[in-house]
Amino acid sequence: MKLNEEEIRKITFEAIQELGSEATPERIKEAVRKKIGETGGGEYNFKKGDVSSGRVILTSFGLNKPGIVAGVTKALGEANCDIQDLTQKLMGDFFTMIMIIDISASQKDLKQIQEEISKIADELKIKIYLQHEDVFRYMHRI
Amino acid sequence: MPYEFEEILETIRMTEIEHFDIRTVTLGISLRDCHDRNIEVTKQKIYDKILRYGKNHVKNARDVESRFGISIANKRISMTPISIPFDSCTLEEYLEIAKTLDKAAEEIGIDYIAGYSALVQKGMTNGELEFIKSIPFALSQTKRVCSSVNVASTKAGINMDAIRMMADVIKSTAEKTKDRDSIGCAKLVVFANAVEDNPFVAGAFHGISEPEVVLNVGISGPGVVLEAIKEAGHVDLQQLAEVIKKTIFKITRAGELIGRKVAERNNVPFGIVDISLAPTPAEGDSIADILKSMGVEDVGAPGTTAALAMLNDAVKKAGLMASSSVGGMSGAFIPVSEDQGMIRAVQVGHLSLEKLEAMTAVCSVGLDMIAIPGDTPVTTIAGIIADECAIGVINDKTTAVRIIPAYGKNVGEFVDYGGLLGKAPVMEVRKLSCENFVGRGGRIPAPMRSLTN
Repeated sequence: MKLNEEEIRKITFEAIQELGSEATPERIKEAVRKKIGETGGGEYNFKKGDVSSGRVILTSFGLNKPGIVAGVTKALGEANCDIQDLTQKLMGDFFTMIMIIDISASQKDLKQIQEEISKIADELKIKIYLQHEDVFRYMHRI
Repeated sequence: MPYEFEEILETIRMTEIEHFDIRTVTLGISLRDCHDRNIEVTKQKIYDKILRYGKNHVKNARDVESRFGISIANKRISMTPISIPFDSCTLEEYLEIAKTLDKAAEEIGIDYIAGYSALVQKGMTNGELEFIKSIPFALSQTKRVCSSVNVASTKAGINMDAIRMMADVIKSTAEKTKDRDSIGCAKLVVFANAVEDNPFVAGAFHGISEPEVVLNVGISGPGVVLEAIKEAGHVDLQQLAEVIKKTIFKITRAGELIGRKVAERNNVPFGIVDISLAPTPAEGDSIADILKSMGVEDVGAPGTTAALAMLNDAVKKAGLMASSSVGGMSGAFIPVSEDQGMIRAVQVGHLSLEKLEAMTAVCSVGLDMIAIPGDTPVTTIAGIIADECAIGVINDKTTAVRIIPAYGKNVGEFVDYGGLLGKAPVMEVRKLSCENFVGRGGRIPAPMRSLTN
């Protein structure tokens, strides 16, 4: 379990008091890190982390042909990505497929998955875009 | 599914087909703590500070780009107006500083660094006088440094002495960079009511009331607006304003997200979103095309100013709704050289300098990227700047002049820079003289509007 900001602030104040006049930024940091380790807080990322979800939206389109869904899902499965939703439409010879994927359990980051997927897009001669969910949330939801 | 099929496709269409991009993420850095009695130490301090904050700027922006699938066209840096912290420098020392900035920009991997600037709307210090004299040398001896000088404001009035000097600086810069179509002038902006948080180079600088470091973002997307207007078909003007607003709202939201993420990665505070429709030389990325799609035959036709006013206002309103950190210019830019539609309108004689001037009264900047004959007298250039300042000062808005007296060229010829700066047709300037007016010098007093307290 991660510590919240309030708890870390408390620990920092305690450390400053303990160190007294010997307090320097480096020593406080060291003391706080040690303390967090003791309380079982595990590693805490001192930088403000990315709080948005781990979901990305995959959009693909092109000429319809067999093997498109298979190709895309195989690559996603290998990267340990969880497909949470999928819709597909056919307009004449063209198909459009949209997937919502959770990549938080994947061993790969978004960039690596994008590289994998772009290889498949080249093979199948279709377009595939992989974008973080936030951009859709910001544009279409208030 | 949490998003409609059409919503997702709309975003893809905007980013992939209609050239919606984040025009610039600009890192503003204060250089106020970089002065030292020894110029070598000053230079080192400037270089170190820019690198300390900016070294990962490009990489961080690229990461965000691929994460969200929205391209960021430019990554840039703006600084405290150089004349302020380094007021005791001589012309040669200013030049040394400009070269240092150029080197820092190259090291970081950015194309332009802006803020080689001064604010002299009411008067000049001795340092500012030296600084302004150094501009032609700085712009001709560096590649990446951009300069701007504010010569008028609603509160202070119009400093005609400064305008005269800037007209000289423009002419001299044109001559010093004559080998490359007077390109120095494309990096030099003369402002009235300059804004402190503008992310758009060449006129960007990190204002004196800004924090230590800040990240501002400039959004554009004329292509997106153009397609939305075309799709709306023949609707009345209120409905058309609504269409523009809805489109701008969405791209502003996306822009703010990108800005905040880049700021987060750089570990600096986020400043403002500047939603400005700015054209690029790419076909379809044009303000002229938007105005035409609104119903005028070509830019320059009667009605053009009204159409532009409506566009500019709708952009501002949508930006305000979409984000609580709107700043900068926010509106529509009408640079001639960067807009295929504008270039064509000038070539066929539909668009004159006078009509452009009228348009600048209702758009967000001013006479931008306009080439005029190389033999235009200094006093006439000063007159053009003064006119533009008057529009800005009386209407309490920003106006700017980025004009290129193309050395050795005449009406009908072109200056061609390629890339983002594009290519500008040399426009006709009235031969009438204003020498006796601008020659009076002094300052046009601040207007009624300044007395608001």
